[in-house]
Amino acid sequence: MKHYRAHLLVCAGTGCVSCGSFKIKEALEKEIKKRKLQDEVQVVATGCNGFCERGPIVLVQPDGIFYQLLTVEDVPLLVEEHLLKGRPVKKLMYVPPDEKQPVPKMKDIEFFKHQRLIVLRNRGRIDPEKIEEYIAFDGYEAMGKALAEMTPETIIAEISASGLRGRGGAGFPTGRKWAACAKEKRTPKYLICNGDEGDPGAFMDRSVLEADPHAVLEGMVIGAKAIGAVKGFIYIRHEYPLALKRVEIAIAQARDNGLLGEDILGAGFNFDLEIVEGAGAFVSGEETALIASVEGKIAMPRQRPPFPAQKGLWGLPTVINNVETWATVPNIIRRGADWFQGLGTESSKGTKIFSLVGKINNTGLVEVPMGITLRDVVFGIGGGIPKGREFKAVQIGGPSGGCLPAKLLDLPIDYESLTAAGAMMGSGGMIVMDDKTCMVDIAKYFLNFLQDESCGKCVSCREGTQRMWEIVRDITEGKGKESDLPLLEELAQVCKDASLCGLGQTAGNPILSTLQYFRHEFEAHILDKRCPAGVCTKLIRYVVLSEKCTGCLSCKKACPTEAITGSLKEVHSIIQTKCIKCGACQEACRFEAIESQRDEAIQVI
Amino acid sequence: MAGKKKLRIQDLAKIREKTKSLMTIREGEGRARVTVHMGTCGIAAGARDIMDALLDEISKAKVQDIIVTTSGCAGLCSAEPMATIELKNQPPVKYGDLTPEKIKKIFVQHILGGQMVTELVLAVGSETVY
Amino acid sequence: MITFRMNGLDVKAEEGWSVLETAKFYGLEIPTLCFNEGLTPHGGCRLCLVEIGEGLKTKLVSSCTYPAEEGLVVRTDSKRVWAARRMMIELMLAMAPGSKVLQDMASRFGVTQVRFTSRNKECVLCGLCVRMCAEQMDAKAIGFQKRGLNRKISTPFDMRSEECRLCGACMYICPVCQLRCQGPNAEGVLCNGCLTMDPSCLDHYDDLQCWMYDAGRCGTCVREKT
Ligand SMILES: Cc1cc2nc3c(=O)[nH]c(=O)nc-3n(C[C@H](O)[C@H](O)[C@H](O)COP(=O)(O)O)c2cc1C
Ligand code: SF4
Ligand code: SF4
Ligand code: SF4
Ligand code: SF4
Ligand code: SF4
Ligand code: FES
Ligand code: FES
Ligand code: FES
Repeated sequence: MKHYRAHLLVCAGTGCVSCGSFKIKEALEKEIKKRKLQDEVQVVATGCNGFCERGPIVLVQPDGIFYQLLTVEDVPLLVEEHLLKGRPVKKLMYVPPDEKQPVPKMKDIEFFKHQRLIVLRNRGRIDPEKIEEYIAFDGYEAMGKALAEMTPETIIAEISASGLRGRGGAGFPTGRKWAACAKEKRTPKYLICNGDEGDPGAFMDRSVLEADPHAVLEGMVIGAKAIGAVKGFIYIRHEYPLALKRVEIAIAQARDNGLLGEDILGAGFNFDLEIVEGAGAFVSGEETALIASVEGKIAMPRQRPPFPAQKGLWGLPTVINNVETWATVPNIIRRGADWFQGLGTESSKGTKIFSLVGKINNTGLVEVPMGITLRDVVFGIGGGIPKGREFKAVQIGGPSGGCLPAKLLDLPIDYESLTAAGAMMGSGGMIVMDDKTCMVDIAKYFLNFLQDESCGKCVSCREGTQRMWEIVRDITEGKGKESDLPLLEELAQVCKDASLCGLGQTAGNPILSTLQYFRHEFEAHILDKRCPAGVCTKLIRYVVLSEKCTGCLSCKKACPTEAITGSLKEVHSIIQTKCIKCGACQEACRFEAIESQRDEAIQVI
Repeated sequence: MAGKKKLRIQDLAKIREKTKSLMTIREGEGRARVTVHMGTCGIAAGARDIMDALLDEISKAKVQDIIVTTSGCAGLCSAEPMATIELKNQPPVKYGDLTPEKIKKIFVQHILGGQMVTELVLAVGSETVY
Repeated sequence: MITFRMNGLDVKAEEGWSVLETAKFYGLEIPTLCFNEGLTPHGGCRLCLVEIGEGLKTKLVSSCTYPAEEGLVVRTDSKRVWAARRMMIELMLAMAPGSKVLQDMASRFGVTQVRFTSRNKECVLCGLCVRMCAEQMDAKAIGFQKRGLNRKISTPFDMRSEECRLCGACMYICPVCQLRCQGPNAEGVLCNGCLTMDPSCLDHYDDLQCWMYDAGRCGTCVREKT
């Protein structure tokens, strides 16, 4: 290796790769060669920076200049101006919404500024396919320490003292789980890394596996020493080819260097890892279902207790943790429980990765300290709601999370606060909604997902989610009854109470939280037969506003069902019985004279 | 890395030291920042050789935290090749009419040693000479 | 021996017993549907729910699958248990109103309305047939397929199975494929012909207090259903 004066860190996470970042990398290398800079400038492929909507992304260090939305055509300019002449190229930089001046440096961009990178500390910084780069940034130091200087007891004590809780959903204290498994006498013991990540729209685990696979490996070796496991499995879903490839490379490199396998680091400890490729449904991420799946059986949850720590894989003691949990472990061992303790809130320590999506200016993956408020995430990092619209709700915790309204924006993000508010930490999905979103429609969407993904074992979950979905669907179609709301609440509660696994036990959240905070919207659908947000097509009525209509006839021509009457220069009107609510007339009208949600529209029936 | 040899704990630290020196600049921080002026005039006057010599010295000295960047023409073409040295918490110092030998001297005396090579200095501080 | 409390009683269970088995041993009645003594427990119908824990941190679990644990506190007939049980019966009746087992259960637990449109299926997916076929007949001819609403019991590829020897055990054990209730409302989604009484103690104590353990059937402390 040699000293380069500049490093071009080309993002090679799934998002950027799909936008062509490898082509950018090639073009950069070619151009650099052409300019004879190949001995001064190094091009590196890194993991996801979390700001995928701006991809392809290139970060130039040491200047910290952040280039985004690059095309191959931009490459010669970038190399000539920035690398040769030292003039960063303004037009390739990020311009915040509602502003004109670009922000050159990554660390000044709002999206990155408020983040606290611990699990993702190596994202956009190292080449995940090179073990020496991981080692350069203190990689495997914690493992060395755990193997050479610590006993299983001191490792578990350290993890317990740090207050680390599982990042896969339930937030169970990791130290307690390890201690329970360490206590078991039966051997061999196993470890599993849960990388199933079945939530729609979630990609934090994928990102960790892609950007820093060695961190997961290191965490697992430390865990293995703590509980005395001989073998571990990393379960990754089949839809994540890049993550699979990087983990495979990482395992091979670690083995080659004696960091996995027999006599690790010469410390006399043996442990090896294997990848299990999963093609599972959402429910196969549930730990007992996942264990069944690794054993080659149908992924269906089973009764706990016995917990996997007592009876897991092939009936033997097994610790199963989430990807993010494993990747946090080396940081705690390396920097100490006290340091980790200092981050976050009373009950929730450290940082958590969220995937921020929906009606928000900056979408992407963000790692923030626990206890940060929803407002800081949505308006600080996320940059607020696009087009100056109003914030309505944020849905947190994956499909069976809850929707929290604007009045809870100052809620600190931690396990307890979220659960008390009717949402949950889940795996860290965060979907922002604006005032054009119908909350009944949202509830329907999540219930539809859940009823489809329920494994079907429990009556409460299978039938409960289906019936809730049917009722909400009817409400959005104007067939709602007043008795529906208490029935929904009853069903949601029983589904939570009576179901076997976490899916059913949380499946009531979408309904309970929307009913708690947005009941008036349900009532509008049921009592007035209207959708206040104008989303549920069956409950929209298009009307012509007489004060704006010029009688231009364009709507009449646009209407596929001849539902509009009127002649030239006369106010037109819509025959509601013929209207199929296609919205064509509204689009055709140049005078904004067709409204779907004004009082006039509501009073028609 | 070769990969056949199994690592020991002490090897880990060695690799870390070796690679870290090449990687710290990815953090965007360093004890010193050297800007070599690479405008058309600078390149014509031999800025390339200065750059090569400097990178070579840095490698040889095995120091980790020196950031080398380029900038465009400094507007003082007569004094090219030029370089600006900024030590942490100190005002920038400009050197002109450089040769590979001179930059080596500056590297050893100023960057590593913290002593300005007064005879070669063009200007000190953010006062501009252009 | 494992000792724990059930309905205020100290009970002892053998290692490996479930809560349901312990209850049966002590003569405490817990309704079941997907459970059968000769088969491995499944935990699907959720009728055998009991409330475990104390104070604010209680939860419902299926007693057929939950192992007897030292120091456990179990209540088999709390208000919450009954509410959930009634909903399970209502949900299953809406699937298969033809099941006499379910109709009887409805009257027994005072389920007097079915608020969902009937699916009129002939299966509640209890899985008894699957386990019967695999565990007792050693045939493994049928199994569960798909998830959610599409879940069903069938042979592989829905074809006539070579494994099946037409023993009929699956039909024998099925709670749905039996003669349907011939009560006064035989054709309706809900019959309720044998429904009369409701134990009144639930509202007062949040527990069925009947020391005869007859769920109100003796008529002493019950009120007439309205
Ligand atoms: C329906 C369902 C889906 C789940 N999916 C995942 C998943 O995709 N990834 C994951 O790590 N945990 C998932 N979990 C949580 C796991 O059951 C388990 O709690 C977790 O892997 C434990 O690791 P942790 O303690 O590190 O969080 C899921 C749970 C449920 C109920
Ligand atoms: S709660 Fe739902 S997903 Fe979980 S085991 Fe029961 S039916 Fe399956
Ligand atoms: S297109 Fe608009 S302005 Fe024209 S007739 Fe229709 S409603 Fe009136
Ligand atoms: S919404 Fe469609 S069908 Fe209805 S009036 Fe407008 S164009 Fe015609
Ligand atoms: S009849 Fe066929 S499917 Fe039914 S239990 Fe017998 S072998 Fe199995
Ligand atoms: S066919 Fe009968 S026994 Fe089999 S799952 Fe359905 S209801 Fe149960
Ligand atoms: S893949 Fe490049 S920012 Fe996510
Ligand atoms: S002129 Fe044709 S619709 Fe207006
Ligand atoms: S009998 Fe226990 S769940 Fe069906």
